[in-house]
Amino acid sequence: MTNNAQISDDALLHVVEALVFAANEPVDALQIAATLAKTADEALLTETAIDDAVDRLNHLYERNGHVLRIERWAGGYRMATTDTASVYLEEFFKQVRRVKLSRPLMETLAILSYRQPVTRVEIDQVRGVNSDYALRKLLELELIAITGRAESVGQPLLYATTDHFLETFGLNDLGDLPNLRDIEALLDDPEFSSERARLLILNGLNTADPESDD
Amino acid sequence: MYQVSLLDFEGPLDLLLFLIQRDEVDIFDIPVAKITDEYLAFVNSADELDLDSVADFIYLASMLIRIKAKMLLPRPELDEQGEIIDPRQALVEQLLEYIRFKDAAAELGLMRQRRERMYTRGEASRTHQLEETVESTLVNTTVFDLIGALRRVLREVPDEPQVTLDAMDHTVAQQREFVMAWIRVQQSGQFGFMVREQSKGFVIATFLAILELAQQGDVLITPDYDHRDFVIAAANGIVAQA
Repeated sequence: MTNNAQISDDALLHVVEALVFAANEPVDALQIAATLAKTADEALLTETAIDDAVDRLNHLYERNGHVLRIERWAGGYRMATTDTASVYLEEFFKQVRRVKLSRPLMETLAILSYRQPVTRVEIDQVRGVNSDYALRKLLELELIAITGRAESVGQPLLYATTDHFLETFGLNDLGDLPNLRDIEALLDDPEFSSERARLLILNGLNTADPESDD
Repeated sequence: MYQVSLLDFEGPLDLLLFLIQRDEVDIFDIPVAKITDEYLAFVNSADELDLDSVADFIYLASMLIRIKAKMLLPRPELDEQGEIIDPRQALVEQLLEYIRFKDAAAELGLMRQRRERMYTRGEASRTHQLEETVESTLVNTTVFDLIGALRRVLREVPDEPQVTLDAMDHTVAQQREFVMAWIRVQQSGQFGFMVREQSKGFVIATFLAILELAQQGDVLITPDYDHRDFVIAAANGIVAQA
């Protein structure tokens, strides 16, 4: 630990900032510590020391009015812009079409993320429909992966979410998933009734000729 | 082929949930007879479903009818402790589970929206790479399935040792007429059967004609059970036959 004191504070902030800036995916604390140890020929810093440095950088960015922050996603650090800048970036990236996740895909992903590792049949049971297509699409988008086979009859494939899923949803780990709400709380939620209102409007569309939208 | 939804419903549970909410029915005390009738009326009125999703909807319909019948029994079923089993219990549990995950899906959607407002370096390229049209999420069969079926049929077509390039014997427009006439007679059938023992030009023009007709919604195409061929059917006849 005495060695750690010799690594200058500047060097620590520099290596964290440089690696997180340059990397195209989340960089974890160990990678940063290892890089610093090799280049400075010193002992490894603890992950807490790296994490503190990230906090200090974020504090500096905030104090100086920068639009960059270092976020904690998928178990690593990633530099991203703040909400303040989103209006400009939306305009700038207007032509780039975002991947749209349809409702079947979101339902499948939700069940999968809370129940993982999970088989297709278990997902189908909750949704009441076949999720084959949704799973294929999610695999293609690299949001989920096949992690093995279940012990049950026929040894069906097991699916789980990927690091890319965590990053896409701004989560550091699965513990960051919002708690599944209690059913009582859900049924009492006025939002739940407003969902009903939305559906009533949709039902109005039901009487219209389905062929008329093309 | 269309999305597995009857208009905007993601499946039978979604539809059932809608009916329960619309009628402001207590989910723990569902009037099964009434809801079953409404459910069936809904499914019967939908004529744009493909066979797969019809099966899902009909499965729940049969479950509802079974519950309805059980509730009419004079002597209710008892569990090991001698307590009366509510025939609706399993369905309600499934419904509640579905509601929780539907809510979770909405929550996750919000998280993704928030995350999308934070831009990272190289994000544009990644997003671009994963670009997906909205349409493609609406199709249950991949283009590869269709092309695979075409390739298999072409392999079975007798080779014509022709070197000269002749004008097309068959135009897509002609083949559209052919397909529609065929459908009027046959109602539905496999692509391989439709073009059996025909020339390559005929097969390809027919394939393209079917794609055009499917896009316009004049015919429905569904993968065969083993994805080796596909079935063409009149757009309005599917549910009536099911």
